[in-house]
Amino acid sequence: MSDWKIALTDVEVPEEDVQAVLECLKSGWLTMGPRINAFEQALAGFTGAPHAMTVSSGTAALHLACLAAGIGPGDEVLVPAFTFVASAAAVRYVGATPVLCDVISPSDFNIDPEDAARRITPRTRAIIGVHFCGYPAQAAALRALCDEHGLTLIEDCAQAIGATIDEDGRQVGTIGELGAFSFFSKKQLCVGEGGMVTTADDALATRVRLLRSHALTSSTWDRHRGHDPAYDIVDVGFNYRMDEPRAALGLSRLGRLSDSLAKRRESVRAYRERLAEVPGVELCFDETAVERSSHFAFPILLADRERRDRFRDDLKAAGVQTTWYPALHTFTDYRSYVPADGLPGATEVAARHCALPLSSSMRIDDVDLVVTAVRKAVAA
Amino acid sequence: MASTETFPELPLFDLELQPEDLEAVAETLRSGWLTLGPRTAAFEEVFAEHLGARHAIAVSSCTAALHLAYLAAGVGPGDEVIVPSYTFAATAAAVIYCGATPVFGEIVSREIPSLDPEDVERRITPRTKAVCIVHFAGYAAQADRMKELCDRHGIALIEDVAHAPSATLHGRKLGTWGLAGAFSFFSNKVLSVGEGGLLCTDSDEVAALARSLRSHAMTSGTWDRHSGRTDTYDVVGLGYNYRLDEPRSALLLSRMGRIEREIERRRELTLRYRSLLADVEGITVPFTDEEVPTSSCYVMPIMLAEDGRQAEVSSALRERGIQTSIFYPSIHRFTAYRERFPGVTLPITELASRTELTLPFYPHMSFADQDRVVTALDEAVRTRGGPAA
Repeated sequence: MSDWKIALTDVEVPEEDVQAVLECLKSGWLTMGPRINAFEQALAGFTGAPHAMTVSSGTAALHLACLAAGIGPGDEVLVPAFTFVASAAAVRYVGATPVLCDVISPSDFNIDPEDAARRITPRTRAIIGVHFCGYPAQAAALRALCDEHGLTLIEDCAQAIGATIDEDGRQVGTIGELGAFSFFSKKQLCVGEGGMVTTADDALATRVRLLRSHALTSSTWDRHRGHDPAYDIVDVGFNYRMDEPRAALGLSRLGRLSDSLAKRRESVRAYRERLAEVPGVELCFDETAVERSSHFAFPILLADRERRDRFRDDLKAAGVQTTWYPALHTFTDYRSYVPADGLPGATEVAARHCALPLSSSMRIDDVDLVVTAVRKAVAA
Repeated sequence: MASTETFPELPLFDLELQPEDLEAVAETLRSGWLTLGPRTAAFEEVFAEHLGARHAIAVSSCTAALHLAYLAAGVGPGDEVIVPSYTFAATAAAVIYCGATPVFGEIVSREIPSLDPEDVERRITPRTKAVCIVHFAGYAAQADRMKELCDRHGIALIEDVAHAPSATLHGRKLGTWGLAGAFSFFSNKVLSVGEGGLLCTDSDEVAALARSLRSHAMTSGTWDRHSGRTDTYDVVGLGYNYRLDEPRSALLLSRMGRIEREIERRRELTLRYRSLLADVEGITVPFTDEEVPTSSCYVMPIMLAEDGRQAEVSSALRERGIQTSIFYPSIHRFTAYRERFPGVTLPITELASRTELTLPFYPHMSFADQDRVVTALDEAVRTRGGPAA
């Protein structure tokens, strides 16, 4: 076991969550049923998406979104190079090719709509707009680009539940044809493993619901309730179901999500205040983005890779856990996807950033402790 | 719709968890560590030991385990995998995930509803990469003969053990005969947890591949990074998110302590069902009394002697508050498969699919409920109702 003074993140499971799960286990009904339905309704209410379908993971959500969008072999999908690998892997699952795009800049590290526009070919079918670390991508620009070229916009909201894209508070996952969310254990709304697809389109919703459970025309719950035992299978589907205990946990936690996002934002603001004038530390994004972000992580920029790596070693020695996200094109399995003109922005942000500890249970003392370690490390 | 909904008085299956199970899950949740970590590792160790297998890799579902097993067998585009049609669709769907073609084999008979080795041998072509046998209802398929056959042809044997944890053939656990075995922990299964599965293997390479691909072919996990073991990772292949999480592993680990006792109870109830059903005319009961002690007795299947009465008998039982199911409709007859693989004819499988009914069955079922099911079935089979809707 680790002995971090401040771990990268922390998951608190209060007693009301534990009881919600236990009550579900006691009921003896564990597969998709009333709790999944309730969780999905609540998620639709929270995000403002007409349809919310729970699935087994954020990866499964992206896979189903690609399938529902009709993406297949021969197609190209624009994906930012600075994201978690699932954003691109899902494109490959359906036999299509991820075309990696650069970020706007190292301090504004979401997909650059202008770079994406340059990479559109007759084979391009979709853009996967990733709201990385919780910071909303340029949703309006991506929407316009997709509309102009007849592309599907899939929002990868794995790290961004509750983030907003405009002054009216419209949430991520509602401007693309499809949104993909993650409830993985480190996420703002976590259940262990889990995910969700959102859409406003009835046909896409039907397709996602079908394919997440082997394209069966009726469910175990339907049959339990006395529906006919016969069913058909109308496509090659998957087992991407979430189960009832996870839905019970998610539903219980969803009630506290807005508060918990506000707490994360508060910690980020405290960090930013304290780090604004520290030489050698560069903050990412601006105040508007901080207001709209749902703050999965708090990345800062150091001068270069060497200083970043040394910085991380110093923080580790001080008991502060940090992380960084490699860019896709540096992975062994993604080298062949590097465009000829390279991806300078993504390469730079991957080399220079470091994510500091952030969780909804973080106190101001914790922020101060991290900031002290940061000051010491950059002064060294 | 809602007005016609009825919860069955006697459901197909029912699950009763124990206080120790709840405590194990509660303790895990309170720890705050929910993703792949020490509890999953502990469960894998216990399950591997239970099977006598070198490796057990917990995954998100049996479908995921089958997908990884086929990938480990080298199944890819252009390849063929021989599978039964008398099984759940995942057995075949996972072949399609690999870009390969499922070739449907015939079962031995309605009394022995598992793949017929002679039929399988006739379907082997130069493109055949693997055979997947299904240990239907928890009873051993002919794993010994299939192993010999696969070895002779240089192809992989995969076992779909979704129904059969802890069942054996010649004293050897099912799932350990082939290159890999795929287990299910779906909510109605013998060892259920909600959604979950596991791949077992004796091969170090298969285990390494499965561990890598279940978590995006990343060279380190969140737990490794949290525990300070490593700092970053590479991605070395096209992987998936097929991970199980810690609360489910804790539940499985807790339930593993009772699995033998629960299966023993299933065997007693199965023998009792079989003896009661022996007096019902117009049905046959697959398998034999002699096979029960080595089976995991997952479900209680019966076959109606007469073709064309399945829907009628099923709805007659439903009217009496008894839920039944069909294990299984033939995969090759589903719309998705007829479209992709037309012209498949498997007379024994099709007859089994048209005449099978699965009766309510679970370890805490009472004798009185068993009697009630058998009486109702006897009446339903003897009473000729109109054609069912």
